[in-house]
Amino acid sequence: MKLTDKPLAATAALRDSIKKTPVMWALALLSLAPPFLTGSRYYQDIMALTLLWAGLSCAWNLYSGYSRRVSIGHAAFLGIGAYTSTLLYLKLGVSPWLGMLAGSAVSALAALLIGGLTLRLKGAFFVLSTIAFAKIMEVAAVTSKGLTGGSQGLTIHYDPSLANMIFASKSSYAALCWLYMMLCLLLCLWLERSRTGLLLTASGENQEAAESLGIHASAVMLAAFVLSAALTSMGGSIYAQYYLFMEPTSLMGLSSSVNFILLAITGGMGTAFGPVLGSMLLTPLSNLLRGGLTRVSGLHGFVLGLALLAVLIFKPDGILPQLRGFAAARLGRGGKRDA
Amino acid sequence: MESVTQVFVSGLLSGGVYSLASVGLALIFGVAGLVNFAHGEYLMLSMYVAWAFYEFMGINPYMSMPLNLLLMAGAGFLTFKLIMERILESDHSIQMLITLALSMTLQNLALMVAKADYRTVRLEMTNHVINAGFLVVSTPRAIAFLVAALASAALWLFLSKTYAGAAMRAVAQNGKAAELMGISLKRVYCQAFVIGITLVGLAGLLLSPVYPVYPLVGAGFSTLAFIVVVLGGLSSVPGAAVGGLVIGVVESFAGYFAGPAYQQAAYFLLFIVALACRPEGIMGARAGLEA
Repeated sequence: MKLTDKPLAATAALRDSIKKTPVMWALALLSLAPPFLTGSRYYQDIMALTLLWAGLSCAWNLYSGYSRRVSIGHAAFLGIGAYTSTLLYLKLGVSPWLGMLAGSAVSALAALLIGGLTLRLKGAFFVLSTIAFAKIMEVAAVTSKGLTGGSQGLTIHYDPSLANMIFASKSSYAALCWLYMMLCLLLCLWLERSRTGLLLTASGENQEAAESLGIHASAVMLAAFVLSAALTSMGGSIYAQYYLFMEPTSLMGLSSSVNFILLAITGGMGTAFGPVLGSMLLTPLSNLLRGGLTRVSGLHGFVLGLALLAVLIFKPDGILPQLRGFAAARLGRGGKRDA
Repeated sequence: MESVTQVFVSGLLSGGVYSLASVGLALIFGVAGLVNFAHGEYLMLSMYVAWAFYEFMGINPYMSMPLNLLLMAGAGFLTFKLIMERILESDHSIQMLITLALSMTLQNLALMVAKADYRTVRLEMTNHVINAGFLVVSTPRAIAFLVAALASAALWLFLSKTYAGAAMRAVAQNGKAAELMGISLKRVYCQAFVIGITLVGLAGLLLSPVYPVYPLVGAGFSTLAFIVVVLGGLSSVPGAAVGGLVIGVVESFAGYFAGPAYQQAAYFLLFIVALACRPEGIMGARAGLEA
């Protein structure tokens, strides 16, 4: 891979990306429409969650996808975002829009601290340290009852207004989640086509080799980790304003952290559109299964678990690269026939 | 002072079971290089088997031990053939995700079959204690500790004294060289995996008289066992045994002085601090499997 000396201009990169992946662009842009086309709150709910998780998984992908260093602790940043904006709102009356930024700042700081300690760890060590970090944050939220309400959770009073980031209609939430997803997606697209992105991938793949070429590998990785944490935290604030309720375990537990990864892996980690595709497939599937298979508890998780096992064992690169390969093969053959 | 001794001993006793679970994980990682994040789910499985024998046939967990261990070995063998064999060469983080998906599948399977209820095995000795004057020890916990210690010792003997054990250590040291000496890698990987799962199964059945079983009972154990293994030096079997005892004692003291909610936080914190100071593990990750 050749390192370009100056980054591609943002607009040129965007044009390039639209030309190369028109289908994915259409999918991402059009995903705003469905919540406004249906009147059913049940489906609007699933669509809003799909968009939110697409954004969250993109945020995870920004560090872990491109560096190939899997963090199973991103739920900690989700929790920091949710609790920061909510506590500011409940205790001081600060608008969640500002709270969201404050949460990002707190998450960025936390990421700086924890990343400084753990990013140099390799393989299973790093993964475990991220799990440990999320667990500590979860326990902290459970035990500081005076502030967070412990495992009883926190409830936000329903008071719809734009300033409160509380909406009466689910489609407004969907629009907010869509904006969030687009922000994360555009940042990933920028990263993918920038010099920094190449540096990140190189550093993640082989830190010693990257450093011997004069790359400040640890600085690049730390910067990406901090950005990823701050973005995840913004999603956390939206999460809190959407549910108007939060509780440490469902927010910061292991299964929450794992969800980030499963969406990205299913779609294709380390590709900008992968997490979006993954969420569009899995979030509705998971919610519909949960709604449909209620008679036997556990059946929905069992089916989902088996599906994930199959994807991970047989298609560990995710679905997107497969689709690309398929499309390229079709187009290639078509081209030959024309010529 | 009395209560401190009591806290120490009770930590040591739970540590014995942690050691047993972790030793299996260290063996699997050291020999086959497999990251098994579904380790705790096999503990849950053997607890359910022990409970089923007790509930439906009236056989207590200690009597059903041989059958239970046989079933666990079978489960380990099946898992290896169906899943692990395919991912031997994969990246560790991919292995971790696959085994996480496996643990999710097994947990939900348990939820479907056995429901979310807490099931208990109530033996006459469940509440029986040994009173040694200054110390009170619950009998089933003491038995668990003793059996765990015996099993760890047996594993050590197997690794250091038998041909199959030597082959296992050879594979852990240098797989290619071992293969050139005529050792079948896949067979050794499979043996290590089956032994590791059987050991965590033993830990589960030893816990069953004192601990209720429910679908998520194993969830905490996988992370715990990993932390123990990392603290013990990754592929060191004695390291894992000692690490288990240390974690048991730390957990017990944190629970006593700071409250039960901080038990987990204490060893996770210990883990992060330890990694920050010594990124290669407390005892240092040396090549090969120590026995």
